[in-house]
Amino acid sequence: MSYEYIVFSIVLIPIVGAFILPIIGRISHRLRNLLALGFVAASFMLSLYLIPPALAGKVITLARQFPLGLNFVLTADSLAVFMACVSSLLSAIIILYSFGYISHYENQNEYYFMVVLFLGAMMGLVFSGNLILLYVFWEITAITSWRLIGFFREKSYVLKADKAFLVTVFGALAMLIGFISIYQQAGSFDLAVIKESLKTNPVANFAVVLILFGIFSKSATLPFHTWLPDAGVAPSPVTALLHAAILVKIGLYVFARLFLASFTFAEFWHVVVPLVAVISAIVSAGAALIETDLKRIIAYSTVSQIGFIFFGLAIGNGLAIVGGLLYILMHGIAKAGLFLCAGIIEQNTKTKDITKLGGLITTMPITAVSFLFCAFSVMGIPPFGGFFSKYMVFAGAVNSGHLVITALFLVAAFMTILYLFRLFNLIFLGAARIPAKEASPIMVLSVAILGALSLVGGILIWYPSKFVQVVVTQMGRM
Amino acid sequence: MYSSLILLPFFGVIVLNLPFRALMKKCAFWLCLSIVLFQICLILFPQICCFSDKLDALGSFFKFDFAVDSLSRVMLFCIGIVLFTALFVQRNNCEDEDKIFNFANVSLLILCGMNGVVMVKDIFSLYVFLEITAVSSFILIAFNKESVAFEGAFKYIILSAVATVLMLAAIALFLVISGDTGFSAISSALKVSQGRFFIGFAVGIFLCACFIKSGLVPFHGWVPDAYSSAPASVSVLLAGVVTKTVGIYTLIRIVNSIFGFGDPIKHLLLAVGAISIVVGALAALGQKDIKRMLAYSSISQVGYIVIGLGTGTALGLTGAIFHLFNHSIFKSLLFVNSAAVESETGTRDMDKLSGLAKKMPLTGITSILGSLSCAGIPPLAGFWSKLIIIIALWVSGFRGYAIIAVLASVLTLAYFLSWQRSVFFGILKEDLANVKEAGFGLVFPALILAVIIVGVGIFFPLFINSFALPIENILGG
Repeated sequence: MSYEYIVFSIVLIPIVGAFILPIIGRISHRLRNLLALGFVAASFMLSLYLIPPALAGKVITLARQFPLGLNFVLTADSLAVFMACVSSLLSAIIILYSFGYISHYENQNEYYFMVVLFLGAMMGLVFSGNLILLYVFWEITAITSWRLIGFFREKSYVLKADKAFLVTVFGALAMLIGFISIYQQAGSFDLAVIKESLKTNPVANFAVVLILFGIFSKSATLPFHTWLPDAGVAPSPVTALLHAAILVKIGLYVFARLFLASFTFAEFWHVVVPLVAVISAIVSAGAALIETDLKRIIAYSTVSQIGFIFFGLAIGNGLAIVGGLLYILMHGIAKAGLFLCAGIIEQNTKTKDITKLGGLITTMPITAVSFLFCAFSVMGIPPFGGFFSKYMVFAGAVNSGHLVITALFLVAAFMTILYLFRLFNLIFLGAARIPAKEASPIMVLSVAILGALSLVGGILIWYPSKFVQVVVTQMGRM
Repeated sequence: MYSSLILLPFFGVIVLNLPFRALMKKCAFWLCLSIVLFQICLILFPQICCFSDKLDALGSFFKFDFAVDSLSRVMLFCIGIVLFTALFVQRNNCEDEDKIFNFANVSLLILCGMNGVVMVKDIFSLYVFLEITAVSSFILIAFNKESVAFEGAFKYIILSAVATVLMLAAIALFLVISGDTGFSAISSALKVSQGRFFIGFAVGIFLCACFIKSGLVPFHGWVPDAYSSAPASVSVLLAGVVTKTVGIYTLIRIVNSIFGFGDPIKHLLLAVGAISIVVGALAALGQKDIKRMLAYSSISQVGYIVIGLGTGTALGLTGAIFHLFNHSIFKSLLFVNSAAVESETGTRDMDKLSGLAKKMPLTGITSILGSLSCAGIPPLAGFWSKLIIIIALWVSGFRGYAIIAVLASVLTLAYFLSWQRSVFFGILKEDLANVKEAGFGLVFPALILAVIIVGVGIFFPLFINSFALPIENILGG
């Protein structure tokens, strides 16, 4: 099978598969669950298969011309392959965890349908080589996250789902205007054509602002971050999927895809974007310090960490970009782990209020250790994965001479350590308040995998960082 | 062959009212349905309908003179599919044979009128067919003889009469100038004697008449009353095609074929379109009655069509006509959904409903597709037409209007989400525990329309090739 068709099937399998799942679900629940995992795992395997050509610097393109100057282009360069591997791996683990978590709720057919469709749309977005195609997949992810946040159907939950949908659609529409103005500047929506025609001059600032609107709203960065903590009403695997692993990374990916890999923006954006990011990081870290709702704390932590990634990607230094991309991987793994642990705790103790919890380490040892590992990774403690990515981001920023912003980010990094220790302390240490047992083996296994990956990712950091270096070299930023 | 599209419904009415009414009552619905299906087939597969050439000979006997271009074909298809839907809805909601018989009669008349409107090429025949359509729709609105319906129909009659007078006066003035009523003759006469006051006056009042008929702000007063007081099937018909044909199609045809895109006309269209988009969307946000919300949403969506037309470019016109098509499909679908909710729960008040998706899964899913298509969320059909309109606005330099159009999409999404939240997406209320899925007549057309929405959205490139590119050629033609 040629590589073009592999790229096409990575996108197609989950999307078509998603529509089959509700039908299968009427016959057999087990088969549906296994198939859901199978579709996502197939995407993951095929993405892995694309790593060798990506490492060799090969760009795979599948293009079909459409009328009105539109076209259907899937491009698999190393950046896309990297992102595809990260998101499909995390989705597979999250679906595994869902087997246990979601098994006693209604509307499971819809749940699996939406999660697998989400992954398909995510894969489409990652491989899109055309701005309109990218926008289409971007909005499909918004639809699925709307249904998933409102999964429990409570009125207030549905309101929050609507809020998330409206905020992200607002940003996306602003971004669409930005795309159209790029279209006017470059004469095409095709990224390769845009790249050629905008080689010498940067994109109009007006378009950059509008696109940043979209990116910040999707990646829940200040001032569009409020939907993310609210989205914590969703079932836990969903919050993990949305917050940690994939949805918020869409904005980061598109930032890298557009402003790093395809065209350049004016010099001052290298300061403005990190400034917005640092404000976002510090404010949300502060919010995480005073919140008492378990899931909201982790959500604010996500907002804060996203700031670090923007910092790395936008500062304009090769090493920092490597760090930023590695951060996407490490943070995805660790934050998914934290959310899934939170899901176990919430389901077994029936509360999300951390002031009512305590001493769970004695009854839930594996969950506690996994939680701690993931927390270490987010804090950036060596030798966990998060340390290396954070270190590279900071080292790159210092190299490029932005000392003040770097110092501010150090404050945010310190706050991260504070609120995560506070969280761990209140939940797992001290006297036991609410008796709770370990969750079902499959759920514990999923969080253990993520905890272990956080550690292994750090120890074997050479492999992903090698790959990311190829990515950054291919962008021409190294 | 297209003359058969007017002759068949016309003779259909005559046949239905011949003696043997008892027999005719039984087959009225099927006769009407088969005429509608014939129309859809004729548009989709023109080659298989060769037998209708014989009918053409009949047509020449009646001295009809038609011009059918790709815009007309789009309209004919919309008319067919929406009337098909309306017939099923009517049959589902009404057991009474007499009523179905009457409905079939008036439907055939309105079909004849609308087909005439979209195929004629002179302004006076246009006026005649417009009146046939208008009179049939007055009857349809008041079909169930309820007092609210009379009020709605009365409002429509009054405003429609004003529009008629304006239109007739404008036609008289055009006749004075050009000595003919053909589109091309008037168009060339207008070009020769440009700049005279009463030409501007005639153009102005004709446009006003079109705005009234299409229910654009500030002439939108009759729309919510007429749509919400009419029986379910008639709302589908009115919102789906009737106002689109008598108002929007006429506007597009007249501006494109006669007036041309001068600067004053462009700016007028853009301004009226933008105001309608915003006012309609804001008003829809505050509605509690499903049908009223959909009616205001219609006003807003019609604004998009007009704003696309106002760019005066081929791309804008393509977007406008594409959106006209999409609007017919998704708005009929949403009215069918509201009919399904009303027939099963007995209310249209959104505050009294909740969580119906559990009991009415098909209605729930199709309503999501319709709403998202209307809000312009990809990959559904409505996204592409809005995208084309916005690109057209942007590249022709009307950036302010493009931004208004985009931001209003967020409002559109907001009111549809609140509809979804209060009716379908939520926890089922206890007093709704016995609700069942709506009957076949409401679910079947909804499924067909939903398939069209998704199909056109996903296979958009195929669709645009056979549909939009020909439209570019009609500009100025």
